[in-house]
Amino acid sequence: MKSPDSKQSTPISTKPILEEDIGLLRRFFRGRIWYGTEWYITVVGGLILFFITIMTISAPWISPHDPNEFVGAPFVAPGGGPQILISLTDEQEIIDTMQISNLVIGVHRNRSGDKYADTIGAEKIRYQSQNELIAGLEAGEINYILIDEDLEEELQFQIPSMMVIARDLGLRFPLGTDNLGRDMVSRIIWGARTVLSVAILSALLSSSIGVTLGLISGFVSGPLDRVISLVMDSIYSFPGLLLAIAMVAMLGPGMINVAVAVSVIYIPTFFRVVRGQVLSIKEELYVEAARSLGAKARSILWSYIFPNVIPSIVVVFSINIADAILTEAGLSFIGLGLPPDIPDWGYDLSKGHSFLVAGHWWLITYPGFMITLVATGFTLLGEGLSEILNPRLVKN
Amino acid sequence: MQSKETLYEIKDLVVEYHTRYGVVNAVDHVSFDIYRGEVLGLVGESGCGKSTLGKALMRMIEAPGEIAAGELILNGVDLLGLTPKEMRDVRGSQISMIFQDPMTSLNPVQRIQDHLTETISTHEPDAEKPTMLQRVKRLIERLGIQTQRLDDYPHQLSGGMRQRVMIGLGLVLNANLIIADEATTSLDVIVEAKLADQLMEIKEEFGISILAITHNIALVAQLADRLAVMYAGRIVEIGSVYEVFDDPKHPYTRGLLQSVPSIKLDDHEDLYKMAGEPPDLTNPPSGCRFHPRCPEAMPICSQEKPTLQEISPGRSVHCWLYEDHPEKEPLVSENS
Repeated sequence: MKSPDSKQSTPISTKPILEEDIGLLRRFFRGRIWYGTEWYITVVGGLILFFITIMTISAPWISPHDPNEFVGAPFVAPGGGPQILISLTDEQEIIDTMQISNLVIGVHRNRSGDKYADTIGAEKIRYQSQNELIAGLEAGEINYILIDEDLEEELQFQIPSMMVIARDLGLRFPLGTDNLGRDMVSRIIWGARTVLSVAILSALLSSSIGVTLGLISGFVSGPLDRVISLVMDSIYSFPGLLLAIAMVAMLGPGMINVAVAVSVIYIPTFFRVVRGQVLSIKEELYVEAARSLGAKARSILWSYIFPNVIPSIVVVFSINIADAILTEAGLSFIGLGLPPDIPDWGYDLSKGHSFLVAGHWWLITYPGFMITLVATGFTLLGEGLSEILNPRLVKN
Repeated sequence: MQSKETLYEIKDLVVEYHTRYGVVNAVDHVSFDIYRGEVLGLVGESGCGKSTLGKALMRMIEAPGEIAAGELILNGVDLLGLTPKEMRDVRGSQISMIFQDPMTSLNPVQRIQDHLTETISTHEPDAEKPTMLQRVKRLIERLGIQTQRLDDYPHQLSGGMRQRVMIGLGLVLNANLIIADEATTSLDVIVEAKLADQLMEIKEEFGISILAITHNIALVAQLADRLAVMYAGRIVEIGSVYEVFDDPKHPYTRGLLQSVPSIKLDDHEDLYKMAGEPPDLTNPPSGCRFHPRCPEAMPICSQEKPTLQEISPGRSVHCWLYEDHPEKEPLVSENS
């Protein structure tokens, strides 16, 4: 890379760097500011997206459970999940798992405890309420009951004679479970796939269509511009979700169809931004200068106007992705989006918010955080890239 | 002046802008010639149609404007008869233009080198990259810019350098005529003087003609061989620069020359201010467009339009003072 400092201090010995000696990448980034005040923005954005991408690719291996399986009790708080084994016996004998087998265990509506009972080979009684289980325990019908760790204190108060025989049994859920007892970690990991594919696909679709139309419309102007603008404005006047609903209802569910439906909403956003920019850029002196040198309309559009619009496109693109995730979530919520067996942050978010009042904050916090994270990642990367790629900021 | 071989003949050119207030005659029946190898200065107030004329010479008037009438004959070809594609080929290769503001006349996202090579490849699609680069390097060095700067973006260059790059863009295809539209206005005086010198050198070396549109009369005096004075869309006086400066014929030219500030310290007389305002071109004054402001106006001036009269070889004036008309009688006699 050419060092500007050495050019100033030793002007004579500076050996000119030949174009063909430089690799493609270095030629591309030659002279770009990587060490300015804002370099970390790009790096942070890139790291976030890198992390999400890795998560997406390796989902089958790193996800602890099937995202659709009811693996635990419903509404297990983050970090919770393990069971304790309780008996009423006064005998002080230490019971290991071998001795429990062939005894009756009461399981409190809990797949995790259920599984545990299966592994130790105990006979189990399932799907009874807590009170029924306790009554059974007191009546001697059930030897032991497995309950959530959280309920220990409450039970201690209810039956002072109870004894905890074993702790930390069964599964633990770092981010809790949802209302159906599905593991949040797995849903988050698998949901990244959906988000990345639907949101990025729709953003790519809408940006390519919107930018092309905006460029043509702004550059050509006249009746064509009027017609395209009219169409775009009428799309824009629809409430976004309503239009998406109509589109999906027409196309039918499925990942590609959802992406198409969502992309239609955002075409006018790109169109308007690009058209406005083109209208102002084409009046710039350098465009006129290019014309005075005999440049063709196509080359003016492609190499004079388009590169100057890119920074705005990048910014709109990153905002659009974040928005597309939420729209897609809205579609899933009303059942028109993805089939329910596809794990999806947006769906979790829109479904989980009704349980917030009951105190189950983790149902929406984690998906919401992830959506924010991905959107932030795209925004930071976009912002940073537009700084780096902007030749106006090349180090002088 | 040496041989007066005509390069560009402008005949009766009319440029109209169709605005909602009516038709604006920005350039009104203008005729003049540009000779090979000369510098023609075009001066006038702001808004008198200088830049419009410059653009019209490249057929770059955009809607709502149009070239309503006239002929633009460059090297024997009427540019108005060319198709848009043929016209594109003429631009850049035969005429090119340097604009007022060098800060914005280069594409901010393109390297200098790409500007130049793109211009070549637009007109010569078969040109190979190494030969193009050779040409570009030679030219840029000739213009006094280091070849390393070819890799820079426009914002990394100074104003003078950028303007030189613009000149280079005009020269890279050996254009015959360069229209410099206020090319030096936004530069400081030292850079301006340098650039003017360089333009002269280039003119000699490449044998090009330059149409220097400016309101810097001092610069024109230094640069130009001939001077055309424009007022309200018409050329009011044209002639060799010495003659026009020594003996301005048209009252407007006289006023314009008196309005030039002088740096002489002992000169305490007030700067001459021309009376009145430039006319509104949607509704121009009848007859001679200068008559409301003219100190020597006569009754005929408001009634009939004068013609551009050749009063001596190569010297034409557009004024009733130098033209006969049956109804012509001086206004001065009425006042006295």
